[in-house]
Amino acid sequence: MLRITGGKVYDPANNINGVIKDICIDGGKIVADVDGGRTIDATGMIVFPGGVDIHTHVAGGALNFARALTPENQRVAAKFMHTKTTRAGIGGPTPTTFATGYLYAGMGYTTVVEAAVPVLSAKHTHEELRDTPIVDKACMLLMANNEIMLDLLEKGETERAKDVVAWLMWAAKVYGIKAVNPGGVTAWKWGKDCKQLHDPVPGYGKVTPGQIIGSLAQIVDDLGLPHPMHLHCNNLGAPGNVTTTLETMKCLEGNRAHMAHLQFHAYGGDDWHTMRSEATQIADYFNAHPNLTCDAGAVLFGNSVTITADGPWQHLLFQLTGRKWGNLDVENETGCGIVPYTYKGSNLVNAVQWAVGLELLLLITDPWRIFLTTDHPNGACFWRYPEIIHLLMNADFRKERVKKLPAKALQRIVLAELDREYSLYEIAIITSAGPARALGMKQKGNLGVGADADVAIFNQNPDGEHMFRYPRYVIKAGEIAVEEGDIKNVHDGREFVVKPVYDEKIEDFLRPVFQQQYTMSFENYPVELERVHGLEIV
Amino acid sequence: MIYWGGNPAECHPRHFTKYSLMQKGKFTPNGRKDRTMVLVDIRETPSAKAADLFLQIRPGKDFEMLSALRAIVKGQRVNEETVAETGLTVAQLQDLAAQMKAARFGIIFFGMGLSMTRGKHMNSAQILMLAAEMNAFTKFVAMPMRGHGNVTGADVVMRYTTGYPFGVNLCRGYPRFNPGEFSTVDLLVRGDNDACLVLGADPGATMPQPAIDHLARIPTITLDPKVTHTSRLSRVHITTAVTGISAPGTAYRMDEIPLPLRPALKSPYPTDEEVVRRIRQAVARRPAWLPGRNGKAAI
Repeated sequence: MLRITGGKVYDPANNINGVIKDICIDGGKIVADVDGGRTIDATGMIVFPGGVDIHTHVAGGALNFARALTPENQRVAAKFMHTKTTRAGIGGPTPTTFATGYLYAGMGYTTVVEAAVPVLSAKHTHEELRDTPIVDKACMLLMANNEIMLDLLEKGETERAKDVVAWLMWAAKVYGIKAVNPGGVTAWKWGKDCKQLHDPVPGYGKVTPGQIIGSLAQIVDDLGLPHPMHLHCNNLGAPGNVTTTLETMKCLEGNRAHMAHLQFHAYGGDDWHTMRSEATQIADYFNAHPNLTCDAGAVLFGNSVTITADGPWQHLLFQLTGRKWGNLDVENETGCGIVPYTYKGSNLVNAVQWAVGLELLLLITDPWRIFLTTDHPNGACFWRYPEIIHLLMNADFRKERVKKLPAKALQRIVLAELDREYSLYEIAIITSAGPARALGMKQKGNLGVGADADVAIFNQNPDGEHMFRYPRYVIKAGEIAVEEGDIKNVHDGREFVVKPVYDEKIEDFLRPVFQQQYTMSFENYPVELERVHGLEIV
Repeated sequence: MIYWGGNPAECHPRHFTKYSLMQKGKFTPNGRKDRTMVLVDIRETPSAKAADLFLQIRPGKDFEMLSALRAIVKGQRVNEETVAETGLTVAQLQDLAAQMKAARFGIIFFGMGLSMTRGKHMNSAQILMLAAEMNAFTKFVAMPMRGHGNVTGADVVMRYTTGYPFGVNLCRGYPRFNPGEFSTVDLLVRGDNDACLVLGADPGATMPQPAIDHLARIPTITLDPKVTHTSRLSRVHITTAVTGISAPGTAYRMDEIPLPLRPALKSPYPTDEEVVRRIRQAVARRPAWLPGRNGKAAI
């Protein structure tokens, strides 16, 4: 039992904006009142629901490949000592599993969504998540380049495709559906890409990226999944990709969708020399279309690693940077590329990217529809979120930083003209309440009675970065996990898995197709229930 | 499909039939007939029979040949005499480069004949660069042909728990990585460690003599289903169940895809996992050797 008293509570899901009230916790849940137990005096502090990261890459084959590829990053990263409570580990752009849990919890985040999981290696992703302590977890399944699914769309068998998607979801034990560069990753197996939404995917006669996007969004809605289709659009990172992004949004009319790391999809210009921000155009469309949510995918200057299922884009990045490149093709399902990358403030393209992320966060008016992410580790490491919060909360500080950009960049962005400042209430929305609602996780992102007792308590401080980097207390499932920067209590988080309804007979269709196309036997394909640690079926 | 410095016919007997050469696929309906296979090696192994083209190179000349091939792929000039030292001609390399560029999807499998001979990791870097650069012309990938059962699995788990694949030192309380300093063979040859737990490996059969001598000198504990060379020089040998036959578990394929292992038989012996867990529990009961704050253990 625990009572938090005297703190200013920010609980946007329940319209509570900085009200001083008690929060009571019992049995891992928020309750109306408790009698006895510990009391935390939170006078002078602010009380937030635990953070929810809707899009991050913290576990899985691709991330683990990146760890192997970049020992030089691990060498200079923060070290985690083996203590009575914590396991040894390493931070940096690709933290080890245990360190990932400590870093997220240490920042007040208690729920994270691993945004890219192939069915074939899902067992491995779950193994890593099992070793990611404290936080609760969920996974998104890569689907838009699955050849069995594309074959069905080619033949127009959307009803069967729906059952296949549902079966694959349950086989992989995931929470939602992710689409990455629809058709483009399949095309990459031919060394190609899909740049146009309405041209057929290489290797196919009819099916186009636009059709994949529309059909998959419809399937996700028909299945009634708690989270809409999680979409990484075609043409990521390319100058002038704003047209593709707007066209994609038009394909989604009538369906729900979550646009992942929108920053990487909001560029104008014809090439790298003329690249400019089109955040205004994207925000205008987005503001007018309530069927969509998005996350920022903001960029911060510094060293990172790019990890994405978008194979063709990573090949281009390898050619651009001349740095290391790792490529993984996953049979029949997807692919992945890894390239270390350093964002430089002096680089025109990077400066525009930095500005676009912030512009979207400031221009999209409804905080319930845009969430704080960096597409970790692609735009920046997740443990740098507090830097972005400070940039959002303090317009003067932001303008100072804008002045440091190359003069040429200033003509390509609108950030200098934006005066909006985020309030604490809005920060609570974009870091917790909003993403929880978009994920359909009712027990997360709020401090109402019955919600999970995931609470972050910060010392109030005008310096937003300092305030959110060092929570005073972090409570996870009713236990004090972090106190004054020390990991106090390490327990395993849960993993949320959706079990969609499907026709069992779909296995009769899948088995022969599978035996023909895969190098694994059908029986070994699904993830066993016991492999998912702390499983909670939704 | 290029096999380089490997002999899958004898060392990875299921590779041709199950994964690479013979399988019929959506875009290769005729299986073997739809593929071209090249073997590069220093001697004509049984794998050469399966190849459409066998290129025999002089021992230790992989790096030179790969450099020349990279240059030819990029349309640069190469010195005929330098190429001749590899045992091949420029024309042969030009033909190989042309065939590679004509492929719809090319793959290079490289074995220890490349990665563990003269040039070592420089050879691996060179072949990986060749595959990367080939993507300017067509889709090309490269993959190592690994040995020793579930070595990929060990590598994978080390990476997500410590950040590094092997050669990890945890003595300071956090992981450090330095192949050549912290890798097993180097520690043993220098005699740095004063105890050794051997799990699923037989260093007594494969490592250099000074390493073996050190293993015999210190308390060595071996966990293995059978008595190995290492067992014979160990203080303790614990017989364990065979994973995959009488113990469950997970093994990783060379492409890092995990496969569940389901035991077909029962074993009177404990699993490796159970033995290690019980050793850990026993160690945890011992008082800490390094005092920390308030008299409690720091580690």
